Amino acid sequence: MSAPSITNYIVKRPWLKRWMTPLAQWYTDAAGYRRLGLKFDDLIPEESETVQKAIKRLSSKEAYDRVFRIRRAFQCSISHTLLPPNEQTKPEEDVEYLSPIIREIEKEAKERADLDNLVVRK
Amino acid sequence: MLSRSSLSRNAPRALSAGRRAMASAANPTFQYDVTEAAGVKVANREVAGATGTLALVAKAGSRYQPFPGFSDALEKFAFKTTLKRSALRITREVELLGGEISSTHSRENVVLRAKFLSNDLPYFTELLAEVASQTKFADHELNEVVSQLLKYKQEAVFSNAENVALDAAHGVAFHRGLGSPITPSPSSPYEKYISADALAQFAQDAYAKSNVALVATGPNSAEVSKWVGQFFKDLPTGTTASQYKVQPSVASKYFGGEQRIASKAGNAVVIAFPGSSAFGTAGYKAEASVLAALLGGESTIKWTPGFSLLSQATKGLNQLNVSTQNLAYSDAGLFTVTLSGQASQVGAASKSVVDALKKAAAGEVSSEDIKKATALAKFRALESVQTLDTGLVATGSGLIHGTKPYQIGEIAKAIENVSEQQVKEVAKSFLTSKATLVSVGDVFQLPYAEDLGLTV
Repeated sequence: MSAPSITNYIVKRPWLKRWMTPLAQWYTDAAGYRRLGLKFDDLIPEESETVQKAIKRLSSKEAYDRVFRIRRAFQCSISHTLLPPNEQTKPEEDVEYLSPIIREIEKEAKERADLDNLVVRK
Repeated sequence: MLSRSSLSRNAPRALSAGRRAMASAANPTFQYDVTEAAGVKVANREVAGATGTLALVAKAGSRYQPFPGFSDALEKFAFKTTLKRSALRITREVELLGGEISSTHSRENVVLRAKFLSNDLPYFTELLAEVASQTKFADHELNEVVSQLLKYKQEAVFSNAENVALDAAHGVAFHRGLGSPITPSPSSPYEKYISADALAQFAQDAYAKSNVALVATGPNSAEVSKWVGQFFKDLPTGTTASQYKVQPSVASKYFGGEQRIASKAGNAVVIAFPGSSAFGTAGYKAEASVLAALLGGESTIKWTPGFSLLSQATKGLNQLNVSTQNLAYSDAGLFTVTLSGQASQVGAASKSVVDALKKAAAGEVSSEDIKKATALAKFRALESVQTLDTGLVATGSGLIHGTKPYQIGEIAKAIENVSEQQVKEVAKSFLTSKATLVSVGDVFQLPYAEDLGLTV
């Protein structure tokens, strides 16, 4: 699901992180999804079993909010408008809500695969 | 805490008891060494052999659950994902070691059980401790696995008319507490009470040190207490102030009454009376188990109906099952006669139950039959202690309910001492007291208590 990323490399080096943070913030803002009221996790492609399962595991409030955001963004897209600034996603609201669940499911799948291919040496 | 001296005292005693038992049947080997390790009660029966068993008995059965379905869900949550490893890993590891794990619950207890090769004792002790203290109770596990398992369980239980009747009989006889359904009925709104968070709080209390007992059989008592002492240190110490606590035990009161349930699952009638509680409690009456054997209904020998009054009375009815039991609990008991099969035959046979009771009350039973019944009752009581599964649970239940652990010699003596007069009197008391009658199935054909001459 995830593309190759240098995030870990940067986060481990405080000086590099200090340099990169403003750049990253500018880039994320420029991507524009926040102006449609979306969060980054709303952009994760749904067409995989893992993500489908993760969406099922969301609490009912989170699932409802997710659908609301996506439909609102869809309307904006059709009408070629942006949301008024007070309805746009603020950077502090743009938190991971789906990715932790996806990572957990991927871990489960990996564990299952590992156990299925287990070789017992005695 | 377990001290070294008590170990060294117990080990030779257990050994010598074993040797004597080989010589005379009066001194059985089935004694449990009871100790305490890390604040947890531990009982072990030393059995020479290559395998061992370990059972964790928690006082958290349907009688003590705060809301319907909690004991069931707790049972189904056993061996699911813990903070340390996933459910899948637990399963695979147990498979690799060649062990067996299971969980069950009864009206009074939730039981986690493991059977294994003796060498793997430390692994399985750690596993049970982990399940008891560190199960994760993840929301998605409840929704994806546990609630589905619960639904299958309900379907299995409620598709059998006998189970429905027996459950309803408990409800009519004891109302709340012992009377609360052992598995919630599929038509009851139990889901609204169950959440992963609530279950986690219930588990905190259900698996508290004071609320559980560990019962083991294996080659070495000292090993068991050593590993239990090491792994069960982190068990929660107890009572959280939450509404999901294990409910305090309220003394059971017998009410009695009649209930009729229309069902397409089959026909069953349960006729019940206040019976004897478990051995070692105040309400223990050995004569109830003798009367249960005397009324009987099931033959213990092939190709013959047997001596019991009910199997003799229902000899001609071939579409009928009859069985008589004394279901013993820690502070009460229910003496039940269960009939199931074709509606017309169940109806006819219910009348012979009351007739047989009247016969027993009037003393019209030959003393030879009572002797046979006494022997059978004694056999059943002793066998249930000797059989691993029932013996483990009985011992664990005795430990957490603070009654005497099963002592084989005393049970045998109590049953042997039952006189004909006592059997007569207990039958008489059943006929005069309030009865419980539950009919399930084709209620058009099944009898009312009035028809049978029972007072409800």
